[in-house]
Amino acid sequence: MIQLIHVTKQYDRRFALSDVSLEIEKGEFVLLMGPSGAGKSTLLRMLIGAERPDDGQVFVNGKNVTTLKASEIPYLRRKVGTVFQDFRLLVNKSVFENVALPLLVQGVSQGDIKRKVTEALRAVGVEHKRDQLPMSLSTGEQQRVCIARAIVNGPVVLLADEPTGNLDPALTGEIIELFKLINLRGTTVVVATHDPSVMAQVNRRVITLVQGALMPAERVGA
Amino acid sequence: MRTIFYLLREAWANISTNRTTTMVAILTTAFTLACVGVFLLLYVNLRAAAGWLQDDIKIMVYLDDRAMAATVSEVEQQLRGDRAVGAFHFISKEQALGEFKAQFPSDSHLLEGLGQNPLPASFVVTLTPPFRSPDAITRWAERIGGFAGVAKVDYNQDWIDALSTLIRSIELVAIGIGLILSAAAVTIIANTIRLTLFARRDEIAILRLIGATKTFIRIPYLLEGAVLGGLGSGISLFMLKALYELFRQQMRTTGRLSGLDQLMMFFPLSICLMLVVVGIVLGCAGSFVSLRRFDEAKV
Repeated sequence: MIQLIHVTKQYDRRFALSDVSLEIEKGEFVLLMGPSGAGKSTLLRMLIGAERPDDGQVFVNGKNVTTLKASEIPYLRRKVGTVFQDFRLLVNKSVFENVALPLLVQGVSQGDIKRKVTEALRAVGVEHKRDQLPMSLSTGEQQRVCIARAIVNGPVVLLADEPTGNLDPALTGEIIELFKLINLRGTTVVVATHDPSVMAQVNRRVITLVQGALMPAERVGA
Repeated sequence: MRTIFYLLREAWANISTNRTTTMVAILTTAFTLACVGVFLLLYVNLRAAAGWLQDDIKIMVYLDDRAMAATVSEVEQQLRGDRAVGAFHFISKEQALGEFKAQFPSDSHLLEGLGQNPLPASFVVTLTPPFRSPDAITRWAERIGGFAGVAKVDYNQDWIDALSTLIRSIELVAIGIGLILSAAAVTIIANTIRLTLFARRDEIAILRLIGATKTFIRIPYLLEGAVLGGLGSGISLFMLKALYELFRQQMRTTGRLSGLDQLMMFFPLSICLMLVVVGIVLGCAGSFVSLRRFDEAKV
């Protein structure tokens, strides 16, 4: 599903990623661990075509992202859901409208939008908040809305960049459980985090980056 | 349908969010386009005036006094068969003298001293509309001047040349000023759209992340530019119309150029619509300039 082949990226002569090669199978749940500045976000951004490697190749869902034209990137992103630490919700739009946005940009019919958004909101447990504005929700609820938006069009991959960075341990656990459920439905999930407590809750493959380099021993969480 | 509704709503949100900036942009665009419009109005009226004058141009084909009746008849046949000639009539030497005496009764004694009638016979020719341009008139006059029996071809060449030079000058000035002020309008609108883009940069970043195409992201801003340009252009037309009516009223009340106000014309509906379309196109161009720059920024 995801493959990086000798990927290198530098910013101001500093390696964000250094000769990284890895493979993530379809349906896997992978934790991308490492301290801040290790290159986790850069790697995730490469998977959605927001960054181009200086060297190497990146494949997602059978597509070589490094050779995709700018006009093809949006179609890649429709297959890859993204969740962020800062939620990135539109504050002037309701929960429903936020979650409907990925469907709207694809020109999905009104009936399908209503059905899919309702399903996504139900899956993350915020269906009752559908008419509220994001700022009236708790941080945990905002992150759930963000996840609903990421899964609403049935992506093949879900990427989460520090999704629990703003959450307390209890909420972190809830969000991780949500990711597990999404993964159980067949979606490949990649969660980037520097929080060791997340690793403790996920008994899956761990990929560790340090200063842009992949650590040789891939560990399995507790 | 929902997508279209969304895009229209976003465009309206852009406009209504920055009301003051939007109003300033519309009014500045209106003033800018009104300046272009003044020259365009002047140009349209002078072109119309030139058209009327050219419609009224009579070309005098003077005949040689020594020309035989057969030669005169041949010239008449040539004129009759010429597709450039709309109408013509013959003025004999006697008729010319009669007309001269009628027009200048106090000077008629000047001719009596000469013993014989010095005025030549002539054909008075009106050309068909396609041959009324200054160049066409000159070419036609040169051709007819070469006919046997024709002594001279006369028309108000200096007048026509002066008018066409004036029209060409105004045309060039209007094009020059139009281009400069259009660029100014594009810049004004581009800056307004840039402010909107800056205010909504987070939203645009989100749209990019969820797979919105460039076109989807651009449409609300292009619509915003089109509205700014279209409204600016529409308001400029109202301003021009008001100025035009005021000017006509001034002409009527002062009495100096009375009658001329009847000949003045405002833009016909087709040109008004064209100017609004030009405003819309300039607005879209302004949006496009800002969007191009914004696209270069990363997600």
